[in-house]
Amino acid sequence: MIKGIEERRVILSFNDVSLMTAPDGRSERVDLSLDLLGGELSLIRIERQRQGTAFGDACAGLTLPHEGQVYFLGKEWSQLPSDTANALRGRIGRVFARGSWVGHLSLLENVLLPQRHHTRRPVTELRDEAVMLAEKFGLPGVPVGYSNDSLPVDLQRAACVRAFLGQPALILLEEQSSGCFKETMPNLIDVIREARNRGAAVMWLTYDKFIWRDQSIPATRRYRIAGRKLVEVSR
Amino acid sequence: MRAVQKPVVYYDQPPEGRPTSPGVVAVTGQWTIHQIQRFIAFISIAAAALWQICRLLTWRRTVRAEFFYQCHQVGTRALSFIILTALIAGLGIVFETLYWLKVFGQSEFAGSLLVVVLIREIAPLLVALIVIGRSVSVIMIELGIMKADGQIGMLDAQGVDPFIYVLVPRVLAVSVCMFSLTIVFTVVTLATGFVAVNALSGTNLTVYDFIFEILSAMGPGDFMTIPVTTLSIGFVTGLIGCTTGLSFSGFAPDVHDLLPSGIMKSVIATLLISFLVTVLI
Repeated sequence: MIKGIEERRVILSFNDVSLMTAPDGRSERVDLSLDLLGGELSLIRIERQRQGTAFGDACAGLTLPHEGQVYFLGKEWSQLPSDTANALRGRIGRVFARGSWVGHLSLLENVLLPQRHHTRRPVTELRDEAVMLAEKFGLPGVPVGYSNDSLPVDLQRAACVRAFLGQPALILLEEQSSGCFKETMPNLIDVIREARNRGAAVMWLTYDKFIWRDQSIPATRRYRIAGRKLVEVSR
Repeated sequence: MRAVQKPVVYYDQPPEGRPTSPGVVAVTGQWTIHQIQRFIAFISIAAAALWQICRLLTWRRTVRAEFFYQCHQVGTRALSFIILTALIAGLGIVFETLYWLKVFGQSEFAGSLLVVVLIREIAPLLVALIVIGRSVSVIMIELGIMKADGQIGMLDAQGVDPFIYVLVPRVLAVSVCMFSLTIVFTVVTLATGFVAVNALSGTNLTVYDFIFEILSAMGPGDFMTIPVTTLSIGFVTGLIGCTTGLSFSGFAPDVHDLLPSGIMKSVIATLLISFLVTVLI
């Protein structure tokens, strides 16, 4: 069961943040303030893929906001030394919109890479957990081939396996293309529910209007960009 | 009557009429400052890479695996080509040296001549040029594509620092392999030359004499030259390859544009290091 609100900790916090979502830093600016608690699922409707990447990068402390502060697990990204920041990023699972796979590593190696880098868990144990997650996403196991030889749907599922592997505190879901989660949707919702039950927070960045309207997604809060502000939408 | 609004003239705009262009001195000065800034940046990256190489925390299992993979790519896969080149060089350099010294009755200089020409100068330089053409160029392209495809950003987002996971193992692998391949090249070249001379013209040198002559002609400086030259050339060219690839900011199909300047910088650095080591040691 999801813990009571008083027991849940704040996983991610945007404090009066002004975020530049365009490369030139001027033309697209979004102001937002939000707290994401453990066990919550926030669905954010974005207008362009690069906005999702900018949000994701700000959550992971890769780009510092123009104004305001971003806290992850109570620590402000801009105040952290590089080693600590990298270790904290190991607690974030992310499905990337682009550049998901290192070309010279197999999909299995790619899936295990963050956990092998940040933890000392034996590879066999990691592989077993990855296989278990892969089965939940409808794969017979984690694909051992390379990303160039794999089907897009298998890549999408493998990306989900990587994002949920190792019980991350925050899961960021970005979309590579409109409708890319269509095949995995029922399984994804089940795995998200399990992650939320153990206290993880999920941020789903979508520019797909069907996902945005999909009432089967048990989102705690829904946000959309109105003008230059991120506003909560009540349904 | 409508007033005609005059255009506002700002002081930093050039006056109308003849377009102004910066003078030769200004252009030269700007170019010099830019080059100095780039050199300082490169030295900083080199110092950071050295620090990370020496740091125990850097060598996590993923970084170790990447290092061994790069050693395989740069070293093991280049071995057959290095041996083939060494066979040809052995016939060309060692055989000719031993043959003509014998003809002129100066065989006692064979050891010192081979040490100066082959071991100190040709072997590190030739191997460096092969590694630059075969491996450093591949590193530039590979990292350029990784950067353009967003793979570097993806690693960063997962907390896998690209400097540690991508740059450090590649730079160290190029250094270590440059040294190992030079040793292999030197041994094969000397052995080939010796066998060829014995087979074709018949010398009075035994294997033991030949090895003894080479080793006795080598002073402490000569023993230092190979590791110092090869490790430093490997480090600098590996770093040039990685920084060139990682600084790419275009699209993946244009990544080949990196090659001319990257290879030119690597070759110049190789020649400079080789010259400096020869002068200093």
